[in-house]
Amino acid sequence: MANDTGTEQQAPRPRRYGPGEGGGGRRYGGPPPRRVCAFCKDKNLRIDYKRADMLQRYITDRGKIQARRGTGLCARHQRSLSVAIKRARHLALLPYTAAHLRRG
Amino acid sequence: MPKYEMVFIVQPELEEEPLNALVEKMSKTISDLKGQVTQVDSWGRRRLAYPIRNHREGLYYLVEMDMPAAAVRSLEKSIKLMEDVMRYLVVRKDEQEA
Repeated sequence: MANDTGTEQQAPRPRRYGPGEGGGGRRYGGPPPRRVCAFCKDKNLRIDYKRADMLQRYITDRGKIQARRGTGLCARHQRSLSVAIKRARHLALLPYTAAHLRRG
Repeated sequence: MPKYEMVFIVQPELEEEPLNALVEKMSKTISDLKGQVTQVDSWGRRRLAYPIRNHREGLYYLVEMDMPAAAVRSLEKSIKLMEDVMRYLVVRKDEQEA
């Protein structure tokens, strides 16, 4: 068992999160694949507060807006997404809390 | 004149006739404010994600219009006086591009 990272041919990119064990190098393949924001990739996709079915993908099961690390969106689209979700909540298209989900 | 769109939710127990009258009144309010209604779209009866005024359903309407920006506040004021409208949202349309 190597307890140094220098044993691999390629110096691993520093991980920001994940298991922080000392030795053994990385365990899960290479660096995480670079994700491109879904709305940047497909210019035809619009973030629309009226499309609750589409926004649903970006909230957690507790009704919270997912973080960028979960959505994989760029800053600009994450911002417009969060506005859209808030509008949809106002119109009762999306829940504010999980309590709404159970009774709703 | 900027483009706006508005969604409003009518309480579900309203009968057909006063409902049509309400939608009519809404269009009239907009034209009285020098606005131009370009489209009215009814989404029909939808389940609400959470109860509003003890109702679990609502009648959704989408109105697209051109309206002077100064008229938005007065429009919102008169919507607030319509008791059968449970919720509304007026949004400027061209902001959605980009």
